[in-house]
Amino acid sequence: MRYLTIALTKGRLAEKTLALFEKAGITSGGADDKDTRKLVFTNEEMGVRFFMAKGPDVPTYVAYGAADIGIVGRDTILEEGRKLYEVLDLGYGACRMCICGPESARQMLASGDLFRVATKYPNIAKDYFLNRKHQTVEIIKMSGSIELAPIVGLSEVICDIVETGTTLRENGLTVLEEVCKISARVVVNQVSMKMYSDRISQLINGLKEALEA
Amino acid sequence: MKRNRMIHTPEGFRDLYGDEARARRKLLQDLDEVFRRYGYEDIETPAVEYFDVFGSDVGTTPSNELYKFFDRDGNTLVLRPDFTPSVARAVAMHFSPDAMPYRLSYKGNTYVNSQEYQLNLKEQLQMGVELIGDASAEADAEILMLTCDLLKTAGLKEFQVSCGNNDYFRALAEESGLAEDEIEAVRQLTSNKNFFGVSELMEGMRAPDRIREAFVKMPQLFGGEEVLAEAEKYAASDGMHRAIGRLSTISGLMAKHGYAQYLTYDFGLLSKYHYYTGMIFSAYTYGTGDAVAKGGRYDTLLMHFGMDAPAVGVGLYIDQLRSALLRQGARSES
Repeated sequence: MRYLTIALTKGRLAEKTLALFEKAGITSGGADDKDTRKLVFTNEEMGVRFFMAKGPDVPTYVAYGAADIGIVGRDTILEEGRKLYEVLDLGYGACRMCICGPESARQMLASGDLFRVATKYPNIAKDYFLNRKHQTVEIIKMSGSIELAPIVGLSEVICDIVETGTTLRENGLTVLEEVCKISARVVVNQVSMKMYSDRISQLINGLKEALEA
Repeated sequence: MKRNRMIHTPEGFRDLYGDEARARRKLLQDLDEVFRRYGYEDIETPAVEYFDVFGSDVGTTPSNELYKFFDRDGNTLVLRPDFTPSVARAVAMHFSPDAMPYRLSYKGNTYVNSQEYQLNLKEQLQMGVELIGDASAEADAEILMLTCDLLKTAGLKEFQVSCGNNDYFRALAEESGLAEDEIEAVRQLTSNKNFFGVSELMEGMRAPDRIREAFVKMPQLFGGEEVLAEAEKYAASDGMHRAIGRLSTISGLMAKHGYAQYLTYDFGLLSKYHYYTGMIFSAYTYGTGDAVAKGGRYDTLLMHFGMDAPAVGVGLYIDQLRSALLRQGARSES
């Protein structure tokens, strides 16, 4: 039997996902051990392998078929825009993609002025401003600590994930607009879905039941 | 030696030589023999066509993915992204409507300026056939059987031809009374098998319950022959029943000729080429993240070029196929 390969997003998402797989009766062969330096974990009897990857790489692994299934946040799916089947909403990892900034920036968002948007998600930001709000903006791609940008004057607003809003509040920023809701999703390679249709459907139904239980 | 960017090929284009060139030529010859056996004759069309042949009302590759340039009179020209509209144009131009059907096979490079494609090749070799002037289910089955034989001849042992019917979605969309942009959103989500996305969207739509239910179910309507019966449960109009009936007929013909084991069904298979009108399919195998062949029925396409003729065809992505063969070979050796 060929292995069914599952790519997990490193970090908290992986922990929750492994717990869910466990609940669905699929053990991960030691992937939940935090001290291990192994890269790939195999459950021989079920013919399933797991590996951890950086979020943005998960859709890439799946699109190319190196992984058959991936667990990844919707933010990453939207940003990467890969050809994938998005088959299950896991519900956890829930947060919102928002446009944030100081309260004073609210007025500017409504105006036709050219302003700057700092973000880790240039594609999502571009789609939101161009296609949904029909606004021309200057998008600046950043790789972390996005909140800093409006504080030091790099940009007027940011487009980022908001979970509790604590970081924003502590830095005098606020949510100005909501772009979309985010949660963890199961994505499947388009060929795998056909070639391993039974096994993948079974796995997804197992996860669904474990979610509802 | 002077390092010059002009001495390597532009991104998305490549040289082919030695063993690889030899292996590819052999593959093409083998496939060509299958075409002859089925009675198909060569047609060659130019790599360059007027933009309108691939324009948005024909419904093919998006305009921003076409290689475009101008002729001396200022007309917009494109490098063909796909053969079917070219062949349809040629048939409408040169062939008599009285001697149908025509069985035509083509082979040549196609050009799509997009990063989205695997292998990252913007120039890809395609080989395929068009069966023009035959609206029957037998014609659909012939193309499906030919596809199976081509893949077998290429050396694939395990592959699947996943078959759907665009009319099922189309009939439901008509019945629903939804606006065009809403339907487009549903189409996109359905072809990504994002059924929770569809159900989220349906919650906000004004359409009868059974129609919304059918839309939500569609991304999950794929698998073996049992899917046909499952699809019947959600059929809300005659058009939808006819779409399923057509697939059952095709399924029966395939079984009769001993090809049933290669066929699966997928009602969520919707092409981004809008010219497809009925049966539609994609062929998959291990070792490649994308389909190795795609095809379907396009009964209204020839109308764009002034000839009213039903047609069905298939195109093989040779580079994708070669890559799958290589990977499968590599796998069995390791």
